[in-house]
Amino acid sequence: MDLRLEGISHNYGSLKVLEGINLAIEHGKILCVVGPSGCGKSTLLRLIGGLERPSAGQVMQIGEAPSDSLNPLTYIFQDFALLPWRTVAGNVNLVLEDQKLSRQRRKDILENVLERTKLSDFADALPRQLSGGMKQRVAIARALAVSPAVFLMDEPLSALDSQTRELLIEDLVDLWTREPFTAVYVTHNLAEAVRLGHSVAVFSRRPGQIRQVVKIGTPLADRKVTDPELIDRQDYLWRLMKDEALAADLELSDA
Amino acid sequence: MRGQSLKRRSVLGFAAGFMAIAIGGEVALAADKINVGALRFTSHSASFVAFEREYFKNNNLDVTFKFFQAAQPMAVAIASGDVHVGVTAISGGLINLAKKGAIKVVGGALHEEKGIDGQMILVSKKAYDAGVTSPDKLKGRTYGITQAGSSFHYMAHKIAQKEGFPGSEIKVKPLQKVGAIIGALKSGQIDAWSIVPHIAKALSKGPAVVSIGKITDYIPDYQVTTVFTSAKNASQNRDLVKRFLAAFSKGAADFNAALVDKTAGAEEAEKMVKLIHKYVYTSRPYAKAAPSIRNGAMRINKNAALNVTNVRDQLQWFQSEGLVGKDVTIDMLVDKSFVRTY
Amino acid sequence: MPKTPTSQSKSANAETVAFRGGGFAPRPIGLVGAMVFVFLIAFWEWGSRVGWISQLVLPAPSEAFAAFQELVVSGLLWKHVSASVTRLVTGWISGTVLGLLVGLSIGLFSLARAGLVPLVSAMFPIPKIAMLPLFIIWFGIGEGSKVATILFGTFFPTIITVYGGVDNVDRNLIRMGQSFGLTWFSIVRKIIIPGALPAILSGARISASIAIILLVAAEMIGAEFGIGAYILLAGSLMATDQLIAGVALLSMLGLTVGWLIGKAEKYFLNWRA
Ligand SMILES: Nc1ncnc2c1ncn2[C@@H]1O[C@H](COP(=O)(O)OP(=O)(O)OP(=O)(O)O)[C@@H](O)[C@H]1O
Ligand SMILES: [Mg+2]
Repeated sequence: MDLRLEGISHNYGSLKVLEGINLAIEHGKILCVVGPSGCGKSTLLRLIGGLERPSAGQVMQIGEAPSDSLNPLTYIFQDFALLPWRTVAGNVNLVLEDQKLSRQRRKDILENVLERTKLSDFADALPRQLSGGMKQRVAIARALAVSPAVFLMDEPLSALDSQTRELLIEDLVDLWTREPFTAVYVTHNLAEAVRLGHSVAVFSRRPGQIRQVVKIGTPLADRKVTDPELIDRQDYLWRLMKDEALAADLELSDA
Repeated sequence: MRGQSLKRRSVLGFAAGFMAIAIGGEVALAADKINVGALRFTSHSASFVAFEREYFKNNNLDVTFKFFQAAQPMAVAIASGDVHVGVTAISGGLINLAKKGAIKVVGGALHEEKGIDGQMILVSKKAYDAGVTSPDKLKGRTYGITQAGSSFHYMAHKIAQKEGFPGSEIKVKPLQKVGAIIGALKSGQIDAWSIVPHIAKALSKGPAVVSIGKITDYIPDYQVTTVFTSAKNASQNRDLVKRFLAAFSKGAADFNAALVDKTAGAEEAEKMVKLIHKYVYTSRPYAKAAPSIRNGAMRINKNAALNVTNVRDQLQWFQSEGLVGKDVTIDMLVDKSFVRTY
Repeated sequence: MPKTPTSQSKSANAETVAFRGGGFAPRPIGLVGAMVFVFLIAFWEWGSRVGWISQLVLPAPSEAFAAFQELVVSGLLWKHVSASVTRLVTGWISGTVLGLLVGLSIGLFSLARAGLVPLVSAMFPIPKIAMLPLFIIWFGIGEGSKVATILFGTFFPTIITVYGGVDNVDRNLIRMGQSFGLTWFSIVRKIIIPGALPAILSGARISASIAIILLVAAEMIGAEFGIGAYILLAGSLMATDQLIAGVALLSMLGLTVGWLIGKAEKYFLNWRA
């Protein structure tokens, strides 16, 4: 299943947030979205997932979602969005409880996703007992449980310290290598973008428009922090963004 | 206007007191400043008359009224010394205060007398239709009282006693306030009640309440209210208490002549009602208040004489109900040395 | 400049940085609460014995205790307590359940919010005691008006804490629920209600105290038994020893309720740090 954004524009009242966005989200690929603060990245993600209606244009779904997908468009949030009163297992179960599944199937899914995110030993822990990285792994497990066709990730690692972030990037690469998934990955961090993205969409400042979509050819599993090609790509992205970021910054301090 | 003159009087009183302290010896010249506790009921008229007609002043008393909503706080105010003399029904609270050595009954005030309209026994229309047409049918019925140990409670039990069934066969319902009892009686939530004549007559004129008897048939010569003061006044300020009772008796005599015996003529009766209207039903126009004042006129004891026989009966009833201790004697409650007792 | 005595810092301009943190952090000190009670009561008893506190002003604790013993021996204690607790429990539970329903509707539906919030604000401050005469007409002088007094007293504060609690549920969690395709009912049951539970329970603590305060008012109407009725009677008889015993009973009731709600909080909110 692919997604295609056709001429998406969005405004909140008189505030134009997004303008004329055309973008293809390809099956089995990770699309990273970078852009200055307030350019409408989170808004775009909400539009893609159907939590909000665009002012103009549409989000098209091309092809059927796989039949085993319980929730084709699934978010992973920056703040994890875990229910503090439920255990790790409870948080994962939450998204399965409304589905018509046998008890056994539910149990299998739970075991499988906890195993894939290395959380099997923490099934009964409460969120307050977990570190930030573990919390995000729970959120990833919860997302995996509904076998999404597309992951919609809004700065999933930005609340974490850099070591944890590095570990989770490796986890995500691992997950993808074992079983490729489709994702739209919003981030501020260009290093993250070049590590995880098959392509990187660079947005202008508000109203957000696409400046360029940069492709990165190296297979995910082969990308290393020190890879000169990646450093080169990252540098290129930064030059694309720098002026926009500066202007956006001034704009904000004007306001 | 009245407020102003009252104020001036209290200023004068204060000045007089001050001078008395300053000069020392010449206390007798200055009037004694006392606070008299009162409820805005017709039954307190003797005090109002004594004040308005300057009987207090002539007895060298500078009286300020302290008005209360209920008898209970008045008794407490007397015990605490904020008020010097008061008039109220004998209640459990009063007896317990007497037991603690705080107050003493020194004279009689309102009482029931055969031939004069007194407190009446009322039933709701609903109960009347259900067959409660006379007090002997009150067995098993509900009866409104303000509080356990109030005069209403006593009356209910005296009715039962005379009709020959145990007091517990009348189900008393404590409702705290006269207003609440009236509401409950009118809406048929309680079956019966007894109350002073002016309220009773007004209620039984309406469709919801019927009068079925008189309290005087059950408690002849019922000493409804008494004059009381702090125990300290009764023992150490005897002269002051005597002077109060003298003025009070004179007021009572005027009141009885004008509205109870009606021997003073129509003009005097009218004057008396107008005088009382300054204190009672002040929020109602005179034309509306006058009938209630006339209807409410019950005998106030001549010379503040006190029916100790009945007071003893009341005390014994309180004791039999376990509301006050068995160790309370009539002498703890009453100081018989001020007025004629019988 | 005072020189610090430490051997290592002998150099001319070295001194220990003065400590200025600390404080503003309440810590539990066991038994102090109980000792304050014991001390006050002992002082009060002593004052009464030596005649410092006149019997008229305040009866000695021992007299109040004797009045309490009398209640126990006569078996009336149980009658009073059970009558009051029955009223409290029925009034409080029905007021709380109704308050929960109305508070939830206000929290969930804009129409209910627009219609009911002004009404609640208008009716909350009405003293229930002022309504007693009407309650007598509406609910009778039996248990009805007593339970109603407590019910109304707990209903309004519950509404306010419940919808306040719902408003404070993290919107991101609700978004999350929607994004996973949870049904409306699931979101309410699994996200909104548990999220509002801390507020609801602290509201319950307040409404239970209000219920106890209202007990005396509720038992003004035609009550033969009940702690409130006992206190009212003691007051009208100037039996101050019984009055104090009754008030102490109310305090104990308050402590018990507080303890029970503390237990409930421990049980339901164990997920909080
Ligand atoms: N619900 C809303 N109502 C009104 N304005 C909104 C709303 N949501 C976002 N905005 C505004 O729209 C603009 C884009 O917001 P958005 O959150 O999409 O930006 P972003 O690119 O995700 O920013 P950041 O990098 O800081 O996360 C901002 O100016 C924001 O204030
Ligand atoms: Mg954002």
